[in-house]
Amino acid sequence: MKKSWVLIVSCLVIGLVFSPSAWCKSKTIKIGINAPMTGDIPKVGEGTKFAAQMWLEDVKKAGGLKVGDKTYKVELVIEDNESKAESAVKAATKMIVEDEVLAIVGPQASKQAVPAGAVCNSYRTPMISPWSTNPDTTKGRPFVFRGCFLDPFQGPVLANFITQEFHFSKAAVLYDVASDYPKGLAEFFKEAWEKLHGTGSVVAYESFTTKDTDFSSQLTKIIRSGAEVLFTPQYYNEVALIVQQAHELGWNKPIVGSDSWGSAETVALCGKDCYGLFFSTHYAAAGATGATKTFIDRYKEKYGYVPDDVGALTWDSMRIVQRAIENCGNITGKIEKDRQCVRDALAKIKAFDGITGKMTFTEEGDPLKCAVVVRISDKGEFEFYKSVCP
Amino acid sequence: MQINNSLSPEKKTFASRIRNSFAQLPLLAWLCGVLGAVLLERYLGDPLTELLGLPKIPALFGAVTILKKPQLIPGTVAFLFLIYAVPILVIPRLFGSILNRLVGRLFHLSPAMSVAIHLGLLYLILSLWADVSGYRLLTLKLTLIAIIVTLSLNVINGYMGEFSCSHPGFLALGAYTASVFTLFFFVDDKVFGAAFLPKFLGPFLFPIALILGGIVAAIGAIAIAIPSFRTRGDYLAIISLAFMFIVKSIIENLEFVRGPRGLSSQPNYVDLPTVFIWTVAAVWIINNFVRSTTGKALNAVRDDEMAADAMTVNTRRTKIVAFLFAAFWAGVAGGLFAHVLRYVNPGTFSIQKLAEVLAMVYFGGLNSVYGSIVGAVSLSLLGEALRPLEIFKWIIIPLLLILVMIFRPTGLIAFKDFDVMKLISPKEKS
Repeated sequence: MKKSWVLIVSCLVIGLVFSPSAWCKSKTIKIGINAPMTGDIPKVGEGTKFAAQMWLEDVKKAGGLKVGDKTYKVELVIEDNESKAESAVKAATKMIVEDEVLAIVGPQASKQAVPAGAVCNSYRTPMISPWSTNPDTTKGRPFVFRGCFLDPFQGPVLANFITQEFHFSKAAVLYDVASDYPKGLAEFFKEAWEKLHGTGSVVAYESFTTKDTDFSSQLTKIIRSGAEVLFTPQYYNEVALIVQQAHELGWNKPIVGSDSWGSAETVALCGKDCYGLFFSTHYAAAGATGATKTFIDRYKEKYGYVPDDVGALTWDSMRIVQRAIENCGNITGKIEKDRQCVRDALAKIKAFDGITGKMTFTEEGDPLKCAVVVRISDKGEFEFYKSVCP
Repeated sequence: MQINNSLSPEKKTFASRIRNSFAQLPLLAWLCGVLGAVLLERYLGDPLTELLGLPKIPALFGAVTILKKPQLIPGTVAFLFLIYAVPILVIPRLFGSILNRLVGRLFHLSPAMSVAIHLGLLYLILSLWADVSGYRLLTLKLTLIAIIVTLSLNVINGYMGEFSCSHPGFLALGAYTASVFTLFFFVDDKVFGAAFLPKFLGPFLFPIALILGGIVAAIGAIAIAIPSFRTRGDYLAIISLAFMFIVKSIIENLEFVRGPRGLSSQPNYVDLPTVFIWTVAAVWIINNFVRSTTGKALNAVRDDEMAADAMTVNTRRTKIVAFLFAAFWAGVAGGLFAHVLRYVNPGTFSIQKLAEVLAMVYFGGLNSVYGSIVGAVSLSLLGEALRPLEIFKWIIIPLLLILVMIFRPTGLIAFKDFDVMKLISPKEKS
């Protein structure tokens, strides 16, 4: 009995001595990062984390975030959503309820951003998803914003670009039917293309399922259909396979892609086969100027590779949040009030000058911003080719 | 006496004395202890966290705080000790004998009422515990759903002794059926148009949505059961795995449920009482099922199908009934899951989910209701608590599983009968 009392008392004493004093709680602003650190797309999570940490470094260098006439310390709360919808919801709830974050950046992929957006909206916490292109993420949710353009914008951009650049009128589409992003974009592209060239102008509309690696039957059909251009809105690992197999089967016409191509891995996996191809994206790394170049150089120096679009979009989202907090002007310490204030400031942001272009939020929380068409150069770099604005 | 020269026997008697004194305590005493802890946290939690320098009441027993900020470990440990350990150990000791007599009288009066009181107390504990933060509430709901899923899979993999991989498929069928039902009837959305029925009916008709989900899952199960139960062996594993992928592909290609984009904005019907009632119902019904004649026949089929057949067990019927029964509960769990997350997409119900559920079954223990509950709760909480470790979480949890498989090949609490009457009855004085 005596022993246990000694144990209890020592436990308490140690607890009280070592715990940081409760009386000197400093005012900090917490920003949540909901990122896929593990799971299907860890590279995306890493890019998100790195960009956010670079942002934090900047803020720390400036001594904190200046709101009104006070300066606040900033803390990042990074949570892993395991690339699962379930975990993204848990992570968002945890950050809102437990960590009391002022705003959340992320999740990136739509399958996590849609349910996490519902949570943030019901807890009245501003959330900005840098990368999610599904309209449902922000639709009818005043507290949810995004940092990128949507598929209904990107589809027509590509259709117009191909028409103007090559004067083609017959297109083929190859997409993954089991993945929401390629499927949505393929549909929007088809719609836009048929508007330009009449029904039936998409001569081949072929699909496959995630993790397929042999596309020869679809590609043979596409080649036989007499299409002049192939549009494939796939991720980097499939892009390499599709392009290489198409060339092996004798396809020598252009292949066009979407922003999902914008990863350093695309060229690494695809090699020379991808040189000279075009895709639309959020920003072009090669030949960038101004703030974009500074960001790329810093990132490359720090982490050893050129940031892909996720990194750049996260960076912009972080800075948008920063701007909104600054514009809010008054942090009261009452978290509900401050969240509302930040949301209102976010909705009012006009012509924000980000590294991925100027943006203004619409009422739905989607930005109006320009898309960039990029050409993969003969050195394998993503070269700026053209900018298309809404 | 000889305390000094024979330390180990003295220690042993001390330990066994403690064990004895705790073994005499009825379940009600423990529940009262936990209730005391939860009440203490509710009323003294905030001042105590302030005193100990913690930012907030530790949500999941401090695991998340500890892993992110090691300097808070002493404070968290002190908090857990004062709030949880002290009342849970002290209250049953103090009131144990009184409660034991009370339980005895209650048990003789009406066992049903006694069960109801225990359940009411359990619900009170859970709701008070979850009331502290929304994060706890969400974790608790998902954990309770995990119990239903694990238990239903245990009927097939544990009690029937076959290896089924189709549970994510059943979950998906249930989730989609229930979602389509509620979205079609009670929500104005762009997929199914305006609400068909007045919205206030929604919460009352929600059980129908869940049961429909269960029935659809059971119908899906027939597709596996008929071809695969003609034989025995690995066929079920292969056919059920195929079934899982088929369901996923079908949903991905069905445009009216929006394919891979998934369905969102399900109404918020699933609050804690709903999940609790369904979980209790599932545990109760499944437990009765496996303790019934059919359940015993199921065990006979597992141990030796030929012998069971010779003893007039209709093996094929038994297997099919058990399989459909398990699929039904998986479908119900799927419907609950969809309405807790308020979003479903086919990608959720793939091989990863399967691994999760199988891990819970084999970690907890085969052929045991206790085991399923322990497996589901521990892996759900562990998965949540270790999330800050990121990639190392995926090393630690499998490692734990391997250790369990080495030292207890059938799981932590396997082959144990879940006897409610014995559980709630007063403890005998030894």
